[in-house]
Amino acid sequence: MLQCVFLLSDSGEVMVEKQMTAHRVDRAICGWFWEYVLAHAAGDPSKVVVSPTHYLFQVYRHGVTFLACTQVEMPPLMAIEFLSRVADVLTDYLGDLNEDIIKDNFVIVYQILDEMMDNGFPLTTEPNILKEMIAQPNIVSKMLNVVTGKSSAIGNKLPDATASFVHWRTTVVKDASNEAYVSIVEELDACVNREGVLVKCEACGDIVVNSSLPGVPELTLSFANPTIINDVRFHPCVRFRPWESSQILSFVPPDGQFKLMSYRVKKLKTTPIYVKPQLSSDLGNCRVNVMVGIRNDPGKPIDSITVQFQLPPLIASADLTANHGTVDILADQTCLWTIGHIPKDKAPSLSGNLRLEEGLAHLHVFPTFQVKFRIMGVALSGLQIDRLEVKNTPSAPYKGFRAQTQAGRYEVRS
Amino acid sequence: MFGLQASSAAASWVVGRMGTDAHLYDDPEDASIPALLDSRFDADRIDALKRLLALIAQGVDVAHLFPQVVKNVAAQSLEVKKLVYLYLLHYAEKRQNEALLSINIFQKDLSDINPLVRAWALRTMAGIRLHVVAPLVLVAVKKCARDPSAYVRKCAAYALCKLFDLLPEESTTLEEIVDVLFSDNSPGVVGAAAVAFKSVCPNCLALISKHFRRLCETLPDIEEWYQITLIEILLRYVIARHGLVKDSVMFASNLSLVAQGGVTVDTMSYTQPTSVGGISGTRPNIMLLRHYIEEHPGCFDREDDKFSSPSVTTSTNDDVAILLKCTSPLLWSQNSGVVLAAASVHWIMAPVEEVKRIVGPILFTLRSSPDAAYVVLGDILVFAKTAPLLFAPYDEDFFICSSDPYQTRALKLEILTTIASESSIPAIFEEFEDYIKDPNRRFVADTVAAIALCAQKLPSISSTCLEGLLSLVFYESSITNSVHLDGEDIVLVQAILSIKAIVKIDAASHEKVIIRLVRRLDKIKQPAARSLIIWIFGEYSSVGNLIPKIIPPVLKYLAWSFAAEVLETKLQILNASAKVIIHSAEEHLEEFKRIMAYITDLAACDLNYDVRDRARFISNLLPCGKTSLNENDSTCQSHSQDIRKELADHIFGGKIPTTSHSDSNYRIYLPGSLSQVVLHAAPGYAPLPKPQSMELIYHTIKLTRDTANSSESNNSNAESESSYESGSVYDSESEGGGLSDKDATGSSQYPNDDGHNLHHRQDNQEAPLVHMYDDNVDQGQTGRNVEDNLSSLISTDLTELMSKSALESWLDEAPALPAVQESMQKSIARVSFTNRSFERKPKLHTLLDPSNTSGLSVIYAFSAEISPISRLLVCIDLFVENNTTDQLTDIIIKSEEASISKDEMDQTSEGSASIPTLAPVEEIRSLAPQQTVKMILQVHFHHHLLPLKLSVLCNGKRHPAKLHPDIAYFVRPLPMDLNAFLCKENQLRGVFEYARRCTFKDHLQKHGCTEESTDHTDKNLLVAQSLASKVLSNANVHLVSMDMPVTFSIDDASGLCWRFSSEILSTSNPCLITILAEGHTSGPLDLTVKVNSEDTVFGLNLLNRVVTIIE
Repeated sequence: MLQCVFLLSDSGEVMVEKQMTAHRVDRAICGWFWEYVLAHAAGDPSKVVVSPTHYLFQVYRHGVTFLACTQVEMPPLMAIEFLSRVADVLTDYLGDLNEDIIKDNFVIVYQILDEMMDNGFPLTTEPNILKEMIAQPNIVSKMLNVVTGKSSAIGNKLPDATASFVHWRTTVVKDASNEAYVSIVEELDACVNREGVLVKCEACGDIVVNSSLPGVPELTLSFANPTIINDVRFHPCVRFRPWESSQILSFVPPDGQFKLMSYRVKKLKTTPIYVKPQLSSDLGNCRVNVMVGIRNDPGKPIDSITVQFQLPPLIASADLTANHGTVDILADQTCLWTIGHIPKDKAPSLSGNLRLEEGLAHLHVFPTFQVKFRIMGVALSGLQIDRLEVKNTPSAPYKGFRAQTQAGRYEVRS
Repeated sequence: MFGLQASSAAASWVVGRMGTDAHLYDDPEDASIPALLDSRFDADRIDALKRLLALIAQGVDVAHLFPQVVKNVAAQSLEVKKLVYLYLLHYAEKRQNEALLSINIFQKDLSDINPLVRAWALRTMAGIRLHVVAPLVLVAVKKCARDPSAYVRKCAAYALCKLFDLLPEESTTLEEIVDVLFSDNSPGVVGAAAVAFKSVCPNCLALISKHFRRLCETLPDIEEWYQITLIEILLRYVIARHGLVKDSVMFASNLSLVAQGGVTVDTMSYTQPTSVGGISGTRPNIMLLRHYIEEHPGCFDREDDKFSSPSVTTSTNDDVAILLKCTSPLLWSQNSGVVLAAASVHWIMAPVEEVKRIVGPILFTLRSSPDAAYVVLGDILVFAKTAPLLFAPYDEDFFICSSDPYQTRALKLEILTTIASESSIPAIFEEFEDYIKDPNRRFVADTVAAIALCAQKLPSISSTCLEGLLSLVFYESSITNSVHLDGEDIVLVQAILSIKAIVKIDAASHEKVIIRLVRRLDKIKQPAARSLIIWIFGEYSSVGNLIPKIIPPVLKYLAWSFAAEVLETKLQILNASAKVIIHSAEEHLEEFKRIMAYITDLAACDLNYDVRDRARFISNLLPCGKTSLNENDSTCQSHSQDIRKELADHIFGGKIPTTSHSDSNYRIYLPGSLSQVVLHAAPGYAPLPKPQSMELIYHTIKLTRDTANSSESNNSNAESESSYESGSVYDSESEGGGLSDKDATGSSQYPNDDGHNLHHRQDNQEAPLVHMYDDNVDQGQTGRNVEDNLSSLISTDLTELMSKSALESWLDEAPALPAVQESMQKSIARVSFTNRSFERKPKLHTLLDPSNTSGLSVIYAFSAEISPISRLLVCIDLFVENNTTDQLTDIIIKSEEASISKDEMDQTSEGSASIPTLAPVEEIRSLAPQQTVKMILQVHFHHHLLPLKLSVLCNGKRHPAKLHPDIAYFVRPLPMDLNAFLCKENQLRGVFEYARRCTFKDHLQKHGCTEESTDHTDKNLLVAQSLASKVLSNANVHLVSMDMPVTFSIDDASGLCWRFSSEILSTSNPCLITILAEGHTSGPLDLTVKVNSEDTVFGLNLLNRVVTIIE
């Protein structure tokens, strides 16, 4: 049972305080929490914090800390998941999330919080239903507000979906354009150790569906090779039976864009690109050389390649140049090498010299290189959608498919 | 170009803000809010209400506008209504009288045609929590529970939870409504009913049995948050109804345990997995079960047979099978909380071979919900410790990414260490090698510690590990010499500690490692590292063939460098040289003695008195040099020489007991609970119900429903004597009350606490003296344990948090005072009764029932006496009575834990400090028939609320008994006058203050019988006396004052005020109790009980206890 939710800004200021139960929480707890955060800046404060009077849960998104307090036993994941849901809903409502946006729309934030939680327990958390109860601020309502000075954010009717069995879908979808798009968005996690061996390589994917269909459509999605999938998790709309028996996704979609399924394919063999860092240090100098190239051509262009690493501590000066792309050293001692795409004629490489601080002959800690890239049109795990069937619609809808892979936690140790 | 960009950004920002409520948040008070509130236009009122909301958000108190805002509740506009509700809910409790004004409107709204309006009205009406209107809300909830709209019914379920706080006496009615809601056909309502069930009647599992099957079937359809709650309820139901599953993880090894005849299975055996379908089943499993059902130690004492053969299997029991079937698809939920809840059902209930299906989904949540990773990893760690083989194939999921925060890394490391096996260790080692280069040096030190743990577990790799660690030591020592780097020291020290830990297993075979380390001594400058190496040198100076050969040069080197060393190193040099002398062979003895004499001479002139003391001590113990020259009294000399020799052997030659790491003080709670994350029982934590206890509970609930404390009747003691009733209620609600977390922190929080010393002493039981200063090394060792043992990590955190200074810092912003203070001001005149003495009638509890023990009856009562032995002890009066016709002989009472604790220390898994200890009691030689003897028992409870297990020996027979501690006697009276009390109370405001309401009815019965005879007595006085004597009889406190209101109406008791003072036994912190009455003497009195104590957790528990006493 959450007693209170606070939204804190980046500087520890309390932006919103919403008491959930009769056991009121004094906002002094935020001051305590902020001191705790500052004290643990280096060691990342824990998600569950024990304060002298309360247990605190925190979720941090884009400079906004969502803080919830309780004094009694409750499933901690319920609190954490709820706070991330609040963060997601607010992001969805307000387009983005930051200190100013929260303050500018504080009335909506209050209304959403009040609807999402009652007496310390989640009440209505489904974004589609919330949007019917509390109108999303859009340019029209804003203009209306400016011109006439009045507009109501509160829906005056209870959404029908609250009563239905498919609580994620509004029963009457107006002006549906009769389309359904399915996209596979994959993230490639890989870890290359200091010997250059690929320790771990796996793809984590989401199947994102954007549906705009009238009535109550029945969708069935099947894969050509579902056996490669290791782990799955589903949106509540997916029925478990068909998946259990024949790996088919059968569902009534919510309106708009949503994440139908997440999956993981483990033990992939190769990565599309290679990154080979070499650091050798001697007499207070450290030579850096990083080579990047295509290892396994996915058949589609690889773009937005960046390589990023934290400069080791105790560096007096750094002089790094690349034969392709740009090299920036950011304020937090991070070196960002933006490559873009790999040219045909040469292999991009970064080289240079790090001057170590006086008295230090060798480098004793080595950085980890984080690699980012993006490939459109390919799912590197090899997962393929076989077909999408739509039933229960008045006319045959337009169906579209896409795939995309980007780097997730792609790390190369040196 | 840039200018253009900037201006366009600014423009978009302005556009973004336009039409929003930004200006209201920025400057909420630039318009007159009261005027706007009174406006005729909705737009103005909305504007005003938004400004008020902005002020609330910014922490400004705008309660003074309450009357004006309440008027607007009648507005037609839904937006106005919603905003007013937000305001009302925020302030209603502060402005109860004004809030009453809104009730009429709510009642009208409840019959509105718009379901949204009905739902809001119900939510707000229940949410403002006025005792006066609670009966009205109950009527409304009853009505709304049958509303046509599912949303309104859902809100009715939520309102039930709110109502339960206000009307606990109506719990039967509330249960009926829960029942109605459970039969609803909308999944959303059923889910909400589960929430209501959990707060209204969590123990009323009979209600579930009616709906069990349907609840299981709706489980996949309800919303995720309800799934978490409902899964937990169903799990508890199945366990209470059918018991545990025979082939589950919990019982994977139970049979082998029984075959070995008891609980003495050596602790190390579980590290060699005996594979049972992927589960290494041994002792931890049974420990796990014990932890999960902790509250009922009885099942292990008396019902061993019942426990070891649970009658249920998944194939024969439909209820278990259906629960497992319906929860298994939830492992695919997108909500990590649901996944973990479903996984814990399978963990506890599923047959061993099916448990592995939870592994994949749990591990996937680590990637898919990064925010949840920390919590999930904590639970995986418990799973992995019990069943390492289950997770062994997934080691790469626990490899550490550079983006992981420190806590996650520490947990992953511990899991990797736990699941490492012969086959996976090469890959894990390669990872560890990479981690050593990580920039986060604290993490590197943890990795080095993990290497040692792996090597201890898998001896085959120990030489590889030692090689690696040695080169790390050499490397680290070379860089720390050239530059001073933050955090490098801890890596170096940890590396040596790890070497020490590995070498300890088999020192002789690793003697080359020791020699190489010792030869490095001149290169290593770090004092802690040096003293560690010197300790290793001293300790193993007699081991193997090569080490004795290097002793002379090393000893000379140490003597040479002695003067330049720091304190801890000097002490280690002294110790090491003493050890060398003791173990050395004859041929070198003279030479060593000369060196020794040189060292002690140097040390005797040292600036530090510790060094001088140590030198004097050693030179007396091991006379070398000067003393050995004058041998005039040879016989006496040789005699004392022998004694000294023996003494020295004991002190320096004592073997260090092998400490099994971290497991011993690891507490386990139910998977997915908050308590498991914070590693102490959070308030409200309830272990699983006792298997197959449901029928019993059901009956006792029925029985006790008429008595006042029915709702909280707990299954644990349901079968025990009714005289336990109040005690058990108390136990159950404050078991988690944080007293146990006192224990977790206690040892460091109260450095002079006995428990701490005791703990320390028991650690070093085998060689008590040698550790006097050797614990430089030893502390290092525990330091490492602390680092890789999360429980202590968190508890140290806690200590820091609990510390007074931390609290004081935010005490300055004195928070709002609770209601008690405000209402106190109106007291008209004060008549104080301080000198009245009240008779104390302590409550008697039964320790031993004569029917079970062939006629020996033991009754106990907590006494207000102060123990003559130590102020930490609680005195208990025991009345031993012989109910038989024969003589009873040799009655001895002793603690069960104390007798076990010597050999079971490692296995009981509660730190030694947490075991209540009993001062020895004299035995009763004989007891004539019908004779009663009074004894005084003195117990140190360590602030523990777990019952103390005693065994009473009589006529040679042993009778187990349990003594239930009473927190009200963990304090002692602290005499003070009223002014001192008020002054102290003022210092303990804010977070140190807790208040609770309750009702007092005792005087009603009393009145009934005394009314005729003492017509003229002041009724208030009677009430005051009866309450005071009730509190004084049940708690060891001092009555400071008793204030009586002077009023014209004789019946009015409002303003009656009692003040009690006490101090906590262990900390001597004052603990103040104030009780304030309201209402009329003719009816039940509303009391507000308030406790002020610096020890907030204790205060809260004491408060709960006092309320129980009064009610």
